[in-house]
Amino acid sequence: MDIDIGFVAITAVTLACIYGTLAIGVSITWSSLGLINMSYGFTFATAGYGAWLVSEYISSLGPVVILGGILTGALVGVLVCAVAFIPIHDKPNFTVRGLIASLALSLIGTQALLYFFGPQSKTLPPLFGDWELELGEVVLTADKGGAILTSILMLTLALWWLRSSRRGLEIRAMMMNPHAASLVGIGVRRTGFYVMALTGGLAGLASVLLSQTYFVSPFSGVTPLIKGLSVALCGGLGSVGGAMIAAVMIGVNEALTADILGGQYILITQFLLIILVLIIRPRGIAGILDKQREA
Amino acid sequence: MANLWKNPVANWSIKGEADNVPTIPWTSPLKPWIETTKAKQKLYKVGRLRYYYKFPGHGARTWHRWRYPFTRRRILNIRGEYNAKSLRREKTILDRRPVYWMLSFIAMVIAPLLMPGGLESTLLNAGAVFFIYAAINLCWTLVIGTAGIFSLASMAIVGAGAYGAAYLSLTYGLPWWSLPMVGSVIGLVFGILIALPATRLEGFYYALLTLGLVELCRVYVIQSRTFGSATGGVYGADSYLPDGISEISGLTISYYVCFAVMLAVLFMFRFIQGKRLGRILRMAPEKREAFAEATGVNFRWARIQVFIITSVVLGALGGVYASHFHGASPSLFSMDSVLLGLAMLVIGGIGRSEGAVFGTLVVVMIDKVFIDWGPLRLILIGVIMLSVVLFLKGGVFGIKQQFRAWRNKKKSENRSTRAEKGGEMLPEEATETHDKDQIFLRRFDKMQRDYLKTLVSEEVIEEHRRSPLGQHSEALERLLNYFRRQPQSDKYALEAIEPFKSYRIIAMSGQRGVPPRVVEDKIYKSESEALHAVFVRRVQDLMES
Repeated sequence: MDIDIGFVAITAVTLACIYGTLAIGVSITWSSLGLINMSYGFTFATAGYGAWLVSEYISSLGPVVILGGILTGALVGVLVCAVAFIPIHDKPNFTVRGLIASLALSLIGTQALLYFFGPQSKTLPPLFGDWELELGEVVLTADKGGAILTSILMLTLALWWLRSSRRGLEIRAMMMNPHAASLVGIGVRRTGFYVMALTGGLAGLASVLLSQTYFVSPFSGVTPLIKGLSVALCGGLGSVGGAMIAAVMIGVNEALTADILGGQYILITQFLLIILVLIIRPRGIAGILDKQREA
Repeated sequence: MANLWKNPVANWSIKGEADNVPTIPWTSPLKPWIETTKAKQKLYKVGRLRYYYKFPGHGARTWHRWRYPFTRRRILNIRGEYNAKSLRREKTILDRRPVYWMLSFIAMVIAPLLMPGGLESTLLNAGAVFFIYAAINLCWTLVIGTAGIFSLASMAIVGAGAYGAAYLSLTYGLPWWSLPMVGSVIGLVFGILIALPATRLEGFYYALLTLGLVELCRVYVIQSRTFGSATGGVYGADSYLPDGISEISGLTISYYVCFAVMLAVLFMFRFIQGKRLGRILRMAPEKREAFAEATGVNFRWARIQVFIITSVVLGALGGVYASHFHGASPSLFSMDSVLLGLAMLVIGGIGRSEGAVFGTLVVVMIDKVFIDWGPLRLILIGVIMLSVVLFLKGGVFGIKQQFRAWRNKKKSENRSTRAEKGGEMLPEEATETHDKDQIFLRRFDKMQRDYLKTLVSEEVIEEHRRSPLGQHSEALERLLNYFRRQPQSDKYALEAIEPFKSYRIIAMSGQRGVPPRVVEDKIYKSESEALHAVFVRRVQDLMES
């Protein structure tokens, strides 16, 4: 058995970066708003279309396309917040209703995309130019290198903003205890919009970065949604650190499985891994108990 | 002058009587009554009271009720009562749902006979699909609603059953009647496998895990060569329809077969809900597991039992699916089918059998009958689902309950806006008061004081100062009459220390044997001066009340 360690490592790191971007979005949304955002896949697909429109009609420069994707994602995030969070977040049975409302939004959204853009998938132009970097035996191609650098950069920026800005402080307060946060004057609805714009932007970024793998089509969001959710789940909903650890784990697993067993077994091993983690730790790697969160 | 009171006895030229006295303009004592009894805020009429149709009772068969054979269970929950006014016996159906179920079953049975000619095959097909999906959703609503396990894997179990049955039928030539059995075995295996993590995980962790499982099945089926990665599914399974049958009669047979399948699943639903298992599960809804456990309910075991029973039934439904559609396709596992299934549950209301069936009817009709709308029909379904989630708490069949809760809220809001302090009682105080006359007395007293306050003026006090006794204008007379009628306790009186020379103000105790108390030390030289001092005190008390 010969494993191409360099290739596996590069693939694992790329996947970990992109999954981390997706999973942190899911995780932050759940812990601050209490909303399982099932319309994440829809955000993902729409951001892809936004980036595609930008590359068609404005400019096909890499950074401009990425920015277009991020902005579209943020916009869709705000829309989801306005429709699926604001009207029901103080009503009974919010968690289930929020989940179903975001699922309904995703159904409407993907069908609308299908209606307007048709079923053919679109391709984005290469975003990071055409270069290769040789590190010993390992070859780092442009798309992978660009994806790693961009996602690390954007994640660092987002986490830094979350850690050091006034709004970030509000969001973190909401994550710790939404009720107490609202008591000390942090507007739940306003913070909801910030959170959803941030996570939507992260989904948009992941969408642009993954566009080479999944292309841009109305249903391209399903697989990333499932991956993002399962990584967030594995890491423990609500924990940024746990999401990062889980992203690395899942990325390594995916790269190894693809190299050793073959692409069709990825989901199976991934699923088994997640079940294993969840049976050992029912709340994920770094998840906190509901009771602790509510106290 | 208008504000002048003419003394009617002035003509008799009594000593000291004035011809006329300045007074205040006349105001009607009805005014505060009208103002108080008028509603101050806009009142909306919110629905009507609960109304039941009263069936006349039979003289000879007064106490007769229909029962299920060999049980004491009633078919209809009927309450018999005597009308207090007409003294006749009446019957009220307390739960009309069985009547509606029977009517809809009759409608379903005769529907194929009434279908319009052109649409017959479309409608029969849609009807059969509706029955199969209604059966699936009944199982699903049992898992999500009654058992409180948020599983999204129901379609995956059906799909696994369908795929397994179709594959075995294709490979080994199994006959159609064995397919549901094969499917139920596959469902049992799947159910046990999926139920294992359900003992540890809760709520959304489980939902996400099962969603992942559905995706896993989909990817596996799409890529697997045995399950038709090239042909897009497994086709050619044995069907329950005999060969060489005409299209319309084949469709009609499959319509009735699927109807029978749905009836069987409805029976299963009723059996689980109405028996001990359903009671245990309703005892332990989500978030109250600790309480249920403390009362000795083993809710985990009950949930696993329900999950496994429904998995077996879902697997069998997969077998029926395979023999109905002659096979299985990967679309069973797609995100859209999970979403549509959830839409069916949500529109009707999660956890109710009528909700599952009605939601399925709505979604299947939109999905299968308006095919030429394209993606728009799914958007329509999504919009219905979204608005149901945003505006309704328990789906379409929860509207009645939600409306009643809203009406009660409005009622109590109106009640609380009517509560005023000062004389009137607060609602909670009023319910505690045994003598209800007190409530109305206080209310009347408040209105009277409101009116009398408008009568107090400089002129009236001056008039009283000049002649405390004797003929008075109407305003002063009304005030004095009110003061005179006050109860004995703490009522002011005069004590003659030395008759015609010195007086002082005391207050009665109102109790026999308890002497009055002295109100102030001031000594008044004449009786009229003292009477006026008492009047001023009373006016002051009135204005402050």
